[in-house]
Amino acid sequence: MAHQLHRNTTLGNSLQESLDELIQSQQITRQLALQVLLQFDKAIYSVLVQKVRNRVNSRGSLNTYRFCDNVWTFVLNDVEFREVTELDKVKIVASCDGKNTGSNTTE
Amino acid sequence: MVSICLCSPFSCHTVCTKHCSHQQVGYTSLLIPAGKTLPTFTTAELGTSNSSANFTFPGYPVHVPAGVTLQMASGYLYKVNVPIMVTQTSGRASILQHPFQQVFQQLGQPSIIQTSIPQLNPWCLQATTEKSQRMETVLQQPVVLRSGTVDRKRLENATGDTLLHPGNQHKIMSEALLSQTENSQYISLSGVVFPPQLSQMDSNVEPVLSVSASMTQNLHGGPLSTGPQGAQHQHTPDVQLRVLKNRMCGCDSVKQPRNTEEPSSLPLSKKDSNSQMDLSLQVTDDDINEIIQIDGTGDTASNDEIGSTRDVDENKFLGITDAGDLKVLEEASSISNEDSMANSSDNEDPQVDLVEEDPLNSGDDVSEQDVPDLFDTDNVIVCQYEKIHRSKNKWKFYLKDGIMCFGGRDYVFAKAVGDAEW
Repeated sequence: MAHQLHRNTTLGNSLQESLDELIQSQQITRQLALQVLLQFDKAIYSVLVQKVRNRVNSRGSLNTYRFCDNVWTFVLNDVEFREVTELDKVKIVASCDGKNTGSNTTE
Repeated sequence: MVSICLCSPFSCHTVCTKHCSHQQVGYTSLLIPAGKTLPTFTTAELGTSNSSANFTFPGYPVHVPAGVTLQMASGYLYKVNVPIMVTQTSGRASILQHPFQQVFQQLGQPSIIQTSIPQLNPWCLQATTEKSQRMETVLQQPVVLRSGTVDRKRLENATGDTLLHPGNQHKIMSEALLSQTENSQYISLSGVVFPPQLSQMDSNVEPVLSVSASMTQNLHGGPLSTGPQGAQHQHTPDVQLRVLKNRMCGCDSVKQPRNTEEPSSLPLSKKDSNSQMDLSLQVTDDDINEIIQIDGTGDTASNDEIGSTRDVDENKFLGITDAGDLKVLEEASSISNEDSMANSSDNEDPQVDLVEEDPLNSGDDVSEQDVPDLFDTDNVIVCQYEKIHRSKNKWKFYLKDGIMCFGGRDYVFAKAVGDAEW
């Protein structure tokens, strides 16, 4: 399951750059860097599965779609994302906006 | 001693009886001095019976019909048009370097040659006027080398031939070359230096075109292997060429062996491969006014024809086509381009026909900025898909476990649902 999908993220790219610097400065070996990246793949995947609980909705127009090697690649235009999060308890405090002239006490 | 005797049944009676006990038609033999390692002579090569041989003693033109063997004996000068193929074994530089001084000495020959060159084998290959004959020189080989058997008195004979003792080759060569006069010329054949025929020769005695040709070939051909010979050979190009030129002017029909590839005697192996071929090939020496071309006579192809036909199919040979055909070729090439490349938009064709084709195919490609630019974006979502659904042009994405990067900020989600219309 630890595919190298998440290496192209900001986090993954930063990790790779750091590893390359260490390799260049001869502080670590290349083989060690590869092992680090493999460990990153596993870790990022486990975190995403276990720690993340939010939900995102999106809506847009599809420009292109591609399916190759069991990988879908879409290019969307004018996309709007909406993130949906489930929470146990939420407290809302809202005040009056001043429209009512009479008493606004509510039972 | 390997006996390779070129005997002609006709004119060599006197000669043959003296030297060879046998006369065989179609049998080629060469006399090789004893004690010398012999280059291999293939009798098959030597015994080519295609052409007749002309034996020319000085003042004695002798014609030998085809298949006649010619015997080269010491003290006698033979001008042979018989194609003689002599192959050289690898390595015997010493043998090959035997210089042959062809001295067509009539009476009154300068004694310099005789003295300086005790034994020279004047082996003259005469180019006869018979054009059908080819001369394949055995000259590549120190064919007729007689050591010790040459009677020097024979040198003083009418023939005035002298055999070159192989042992003294270098010395002789040096002397001979140095003592070159208009009388003596050295012809180097594949490392073997033959002194070209002298001007003293009668008109009947035609220069040894084959030999001389080969010599010139050698001279032109380049480095003569051995040091002394090479240096000397190169020293004497002018004299030789001059004489050869004079000689060759009258010789039309000589089919001379080509020794261009045989610069020196050292690269014998090279000669081995080339010897057989070269002998029968034409001489490409520029000094020869007339060159009898054996091959390629039946060729009728012309560059124009070939080029034009090719250009229709390929665009490689435009350079060799005539201007008259360019227009046709352009049309053809443009048409072929249309067919092969199928990119009409790329062609700039002034032709009317092709111009009409352009708008027909121009609208095939809709989007051109698809691949390189379209996928290049900073907003990327990396995730896994649970399900991708499509209804006509309505797409639904059910994604999970993704990391989103928008505007430099990263977001993560456990599930993502998307709707898009294509």
